[in-house]
Amino acid sequence: MSKVNLEQTLRKPRRIGVEELKGFLIRRGPLLLFGLLLVVLAAGAPAIVSATSISAILVQASPIAIVAFGLAVVVIGGGDDVVVGGIDLSIPAGAALSAAVISDQLTNRGASFAQAFVFGLLAALLVGVINATLVTVVGLAPILATLAVSASVVGVIRVLTTNRRINVEDPTILWIRDTSIFGAPIPVLIMLMTFGLFGYVVHRTRYGMRLRTVGGNLDAGLSVGLKPRILVPSTFIWGALAAGLAGVLLVARGSGMSPGIEERLLVDMVLATFVGAAFSSKNIVTILGSMLGAILVSFMATGLILNRVDNSWVDGWKGVLIMLVVTAAALQTRRSRQ
Amino acid sequence: MKIANLEPNQLATWQKAVLWLFKYAFLFAFIAMIFYFSVVSDSFLGGSNLMNIARGSVVVLLIALALTVVISSGGIDLSVGVALDFGAWFVIIGMASWSLPWPLAVLAGLIGGSLIGALNAMLIVVLGVTPFLATLGTFFIGRSIQQIGTGGGASVSYRKAPEDFQAIAQGESLGIPNILLVGATVLLVYFIVMELSTHGKRIHALGIQNSAARVAGINTKKYRAWVFIIAGTTAAIGGILLSSGLRIYTPMAGFAYLLDGIAAVFIGASLHRGGRPNVLGTLIGVLFLATLNNGLDIMGIDFNVKAALKGIILVLAISAAVLVSNRLPQVEQWFSRQKRATTE
Repeated sequence: MSKVNLEQTLRKPRRIGVEELKGFLIRRGPLLLFGLLLVVLAAGAPAIVSATSISAILVQASPIAIVAFGLAVVVIGGGDDVVVGGIDLSIPAGAALSAAVISDQLTNRGASFAQAFVFGLLAALLVGVINATLVTVVGLAPILATLAVSASVVGVIRVLTTNRRINVEDPTILWIRDTSIFGAPIPVLIMLMTFGLFGYVVHRTRYGMRLRTVGGNLDAGLSVGLKPRILVPSTFIWGALAAGLAGVLLVARGSGMSPGIEERLLVDMVLATFVGAAFSSKNIVTILGSMLGAILVSFMATGLILNRVDNSWVDGWKGVLIMLVVTAAALQTRRSRQ
Repeated sequence: MKIANLEPNQLATWQKAVLWLFKYAFLFAFIAMIFYFSVVSDSFLGGSNLMNIARGSVVVLLIALALTVVISSGGIDLSVGVALDFGAWFVIIGMASWSLPWPLAVLAGLIGGSLIGALNAMLIVVLGVTPFLATLGTFFIGRSIQQIGTGGGASVSYRKAPEDFQAIAQGESLGIPNILLVGATVLLVYFIVMELSTHGKRIHALGIQNSAARVAGINTKKYRAWVFIIAGTTAAIGGILLSSGLRIYTPMAGFAYLLDGIAAVFIGASLHRGGRPNVLGTLIGVLFLATLNNGLDIMGIDFNVKAALKGIILVLAISAAVLVSNRLPQVEQWFSRQKRATTE
C-alpha cells in the first residue's frame, strides 16, 4: 500500500504553471507590489528619478540604513522570536544621544570634531554595554530592557540639551553635509563603508557565522559548543556602534541636534530591517536587505510627498507595506512547511 | 519547580531569613521608596495624594492587564496604545459627531478597541504573522488613521459631554471614586479568569509551549485570537476613562503607556515563583510605577531631569527584581547542598 503511494508520488509529474506562479507571487509578491508602487509614484512625479532627487533619497536613507544594520546584527544573533529573541529598540535613542553629545561638544564646549566624535561614539557604546549587561547578566527580555534603556537615554538627552535644538556650524560636519566625491555624497559613502564593515563581519567571518548559527537555531549552536552568553551580548555592542556612527549623519543632516529625532528613526529602522528581509531568498534579516529596505523606505516617503500625498498618509502606507511584507513572509513559511 | 530536595523547615534560621529577604526584595525596595518619598515630602502620605496615586494608576493598570494576558500567551502587543486611542476617540466622536447617547458611545469606544484587537488576531492567527510585526503594523496603521481622521493630529474636545458620562472618571459612588471601581472590577475579572479558571491555565499553556498546548487538546487558535481581542477591548476601557476625565481626545496619546505597561508585567512576573506574568504581580508593578511617578512629581524636579530619573530608576528596579528572582533558586540550591554536606 505504502509502496504504491510512494511510486505514485515519485511518478507524479512536476506541476509547472499555476503552482509555480503562485509560489513566485507569494515569494516575491511584496517586492513586486512595492516595485509597482514605486512605478506609480515615479509616474505621478517624474522628478523623483532625477539624479538630484535620487542622491537626496540616498542621503536621507543613510542614517536609517546604518541603524538598521545594527538592528540586523541584533536580530541575526538573537533570533527573530521577539519576546525572548534579539531586538534592540534603543538604537535610535543611542543615535540621538551620540548626535546630542557631538552637537554639545562642538557648539557648547568648543571641542574639535575628532574629540566630539569619540565622545559621541563612547556615549552610544555605553548604551550598548548597558543593554548587553541587562540582557545577559540580569536576564531581562531584550524588548523590555532596550525599551526601558531607550526611555532613560531619551531622558538623559533631554537633560543634556535642556530639550532645545543645538545648532552646529563645525566645518567637518558641514563638509560631510555638502561634499560629494565622484558624485557620491559623503553620507552615502559612510553608509556604504558601514555596510562593508557590517556585511563583512556578519557574512564573511567565523564570528558572523557563529552569530547566525546561534540566532538561527540556539540548540544547534549549543551542541557544537558555541557560547550564546558571549555572542548574544556582543550584538548589542554592534548595535551601539551603528548608533554612534548614525549620530554623525544625524548631526550633518540637521546641521545640529533637534529633540525628538529618535522617534521617526525608530519607525524607519524597524521598517527597513524587517522589510529588508523580503530581499533575501530565505526571508531572513540580512545586512544587504537592511540597506535596500532603508533606501526603499526613503524612496517611498519622498515619492509620496512629491506626489502631494498628505503627510498623515505616509505613516499609513508604511504600515500597509510592513503588513504586506510580513504577511507574505508568513504565508511563505507556512507553504514551505507543507 | 522545586529544586531543593529538602523541606524548607530543615534549613537553618539565617538561611531561611536570607531566602525570605531575597524573595521579597522588590517589596522591600518598594517600601523603602515609599519611606523615602514620605520623608522628603510631607504631603506624600496624605490621603488626597494616595488617592491621586490610585486614580492615576487605573489607565496604566488596564494597559498592563491587557499586556499580562498577551505576554502570558507568549505574544506581545505593541498596538495596545492604539487600541486605547481608538476607545478614547470613538467615545468622543460617538457623542459629538454621531450624537449617540453616552452608553452607546461607550459601546462604540469598546468596539473601536476590539477592532484593533481583531485586526491583530486576524494577522497573527489566520495569516501566521509573528505578534511583534503584526502589532507593529497595526500600530502604524492605527496611528495613521488617527492622523488622517483628525486632520493631522488635532485634538477633538467635547466640552458638553453629559454629566453621567463625565461621572465615569470623575464621580463617586458610596464615597469611592468611580474610576477606582471600574479599575477594581476589571482587575477582579482578570484575576478570576487568569488565576482561578482553566482559561487562564490554557492561556499560559500557549505561552509555555504552543505545540504541547495544541496536542493537549486546546484550541490554540481560538484562544490566541481572543487574547488579542480582549487586550484591545481592555485598552479601550482605559481610553474611555481618559476621555471621560478630560472630555478631550488627543491623538496618539496611547503610546506613552506602552513602556509602563510592559514594565509592570515583567516586574509582576519576577515576583512570581515560576517567573510567569500574573495579575497580582502586575498590580504591584503598576502601583510601584505610579508611586515612583507621583513621588518624582511631588519632589518638584525639573521636567527633563524627571524623564531621565524615571527611566533610570525603572531600569534599576526591573533589573533588581529580575536579578533577584533569577538567582533565588540558585541560592536555595546552594543552601540545601550545604545542608546535605553537613548531614552526610
